[in-house]
Amino acid sequence: MIQVNAMGDACPIPLVKTRKAIAELGGPGVVETLVDNEIAVQNLTKMAQQKGYGLKAEKLGGHAFRVTLQVEAAEKSTDGTEGVKTAESAAVESQAAAAPEGTTSKNQAEAPEACLVPAGGSTSGTVVVISSRRMGEGSPELGETLMKSFLFALTQLETLPQTILFYNGGAFLTTEGSASLEDLKTLEAQGVEILTCGTCLNFYGLSEKLQVGGVSNMYEIAEKMAGASRIVRP
Amino acid sequence: MRQKKTALVITFAATTDAMAMERYCASRGLPGRLIPVPREITAGCGLAWKAAPEEKEKWEAALAEAGLRWQEMRTLELWA
Repeated sequence: MIQVNAMGDACPIPLVKTRKAIAELGGPGVVETLVDNEIAVQNLTKMAQQKGYGLKAEKLGGHAFRVTLQVEAAEKSTDGTEGVKTAESAAVESQAAAAPEGTTSKNQAEAPEACLVPAGGSTSGTVVVISSRRMGEGSPELGETLMKSFLFALTQLETLPQTILFYNGGAFLTTEGSASLEDLKTLEAQGVEILTCGTCLNFYGLSEKLQVGGVSNMYEIAEKMAGASRIVRP
Repeated sequence: MRQKKTALVITFAATTDAMAMERYCASRGLPGRLIPVPREITAGCGLAWKAAPEEKEKWEAALAEAGLRWQEMRTLELWA
């Protein structure tokens, strides 16, 4: 097992370091990469999916994440020769040092492509905003069923969102009687931050009925949304 | 640590049948829940009933009694 410390590294460095470690494995094995942002987790997840590696992503607390990749076979280079692998890891090294000159065209093309979320800017990840207890317009019954389905589908994502915000009618989903409490508790247990608007809880008389996550205010809601790398609104 | 668990997934001919299944099971106290049909079953859209992987026959009997048009019953690995 090779452990890669990519704490404090912006994309594509965690990817580059991880690929180098996989090349060093030279065959089946495990590479464990420590990163400090959700974007790096998403990018490593995407790489694992593309290459067919086994993947386990865990939030260790604070801003630390551990991504464990299970490599079943040696990374396939273009012609499968050892020589190429060595050249590739050398190129990867020089990329890690942010020195694009001297890298092969293959690696120059591969790394930015793998970097799905731009480096820099916010690292606060995906924020899901739930503003109603129903999803979409039309039949209220179907709308409630769809919202319940959506929240379940969130639990099935390979990379979970960082935060889910509930406001206005969305407050009914985090409180007593909600059919989605089990899913939301599962998400919270996996490190997803669940926040419900306090004004909304108060307005609907739900203040004493919150069952999952914390209570938030409009400043925090505005901060979370403004700092999100992506907002999802069902 | 996230783990996948085996689940029994029952799909239906129509969304309204899946929703009727939810009402039927709630009224009888039968365990399970509605979920979007997993992609392993179909790329299409729809709702499915998710239950514990045991007692497939019990579910077949319940579906027959409820008169619901179900399509497929499969076990799948889903994130717990």
